[in-house]
Amino acid sequence: MVGQLHQAITEVEENLSRLLNEVKSLRQYIEYLEDENINLKRQLCAVSEADINRIQKNASKIQKEAHENLEKLYEQGFHVCHIYFGEQMESNCLFCNAFLRKD
Amino acid sequence: MKIICSKDNLLLGVNTVQRAVATKNTMPILQGIRLRTEGSSLWFEATDLEIGIRCNIPMEVQEEGEVVLPAKLFSEFVRKLPDTDIILESIDNNVNIHYNKSNFVINGYDPEEFPEITEFTSADIIEIPATIFKKMIRQTIFACAVEETRPVFTGILVHVEKENISLVSTDSHRLAHSKAMISDNDKEFKGIIPSKTMQELLRLLDDNEILTVQYNSSKIIFKFGSCQILTRLIDGQFPSYKQVIPQSCNTKLLLNCKNFLDTVERASLLSKDNYLKINNVRFNIEDSILNVNQYSEMGKISEQIEIEQEGENVAISFNAKYVIDVLKIIDTENIIMEASGPYSPCVFRPENEEDYLYLLLPLRN
Repeated sequence: MVGQLHQAITEVEENLSRLLNEVKSLRQYIEYLEDENINLKRQLCAVSEADINRIQKNASKIQKEAHENLEKLYEQGFHVCHIYFGEQMESNCLFCNAFLRKD
Repeated sequence: MKIICSKDNLLLGVNTVQRAVATKNTMPILQGIRLRTEGSSLWFEATDLEIGIRCNIPMEVQEEGEVVLPAKLFSEFVRKLPDTDIILESIDNNVNIHYNKSNFVINGYDPEEFPEITEFTSADIIEIPATIFKKMIRQTIFACAVEETRPVFTGILVHVEKENISLVSTDSHRLAHSKAMISDNDKEFKGIIPSKTMQELLRLLDDNEILTVQYNSSKIIFKFGSCQILTRLIDGQFPSYKQVIPQSCNTKLLLNCKNFLDTVERASLLSKDNYLKINNVRFNIEDSILNVNQYSEMGKISEQIEIEQEGENVAISFNAKYVIDVLKIIDTENIIMEASGPYSPCVFRPENEEDYLYLLLPLRN
């Protein structure tokens, strides 16, 4: 009976120490994630004005090209409005016109 | 069924419902007009399943019942009847029409097959004076698309927001927008009503009537006088029309409507291009003078109209038919035309009438 109790306590002791190890490794992982988060925040703040300008310029270039392509498509006689998009136009379309004017 | 009535009453009923009779040969029963007694009156009913028209006319009913008669034959016969008392008596599905000492038998359809033009109960009711609604229909219906490739363009958008009502139609080349106030309304409604239904309302509504509109999510019923028109709403979303309307202009003109209409009509005689099917007319607006110089293989026309001009000179081309359409429905003496260059949409408004505008896209030469 005493032997059985002793064995049970040993098992509990082993389980607790395994759990403790798991908590320790989790703590390490959390510390690693916190560090990474701080690094990423730093990187984000460190984007230079030049980078922002470059990105904005690129975006507006893409937008301009897209607008020009749509205008070209309209000039060639195709609808660019959401109602008839891609269909051949018989005559000018109010909605294509408004869409191109809006951009 | 046995009724005694006058030719005029029969003709009134037939004429009222006849436009709802199906013209396509899908179901033979839809080519008929149903006559059904109710108390001391007779209901005339016709439907093509898209639109249904019912009309109730008081008559002497001697025996209750219902019949469905082929619309074309019945209406042509009624038109040719003499002006005397007429007795309609049904024998099974057929009807014996007695007049003077003569009679004519029309073979009818089985009334059981006729679809019910059912009234629906709805708490949503809007009342609109007929004069207002008729004017708004007249101002917008001509801009609906005829082709059925985009069903939303074949109808008129009716948008009721409490005491404001707007009717909008477009075929994507032009847009007509009419608005008005209706008092004592707290309901909201937005639906596209087929132009055929609107045409029928225009035809049947009397100016001094009050139009009662009852609706649910898919159907609408118009009630006025002794008539009811029931129709399906057109499925689909009407494009956002407000963003199409320009908020400013570079050139503002004031023109006399009649002079302008006459000029455009004369010029369009030479501009009908049978090959391209575009009735193109070009206006050169220069220092308060509107010049129209049109020539074709058939001849040449040169006209000048004095106008009031604010802003830049402009040369602009339109489909003449689209200009004539709007000039024909404007009641005011003068019209305002607002242009922003040769390719931007041009706005036409009646002078001193803020509730209507017509937007037209120029043609590119």
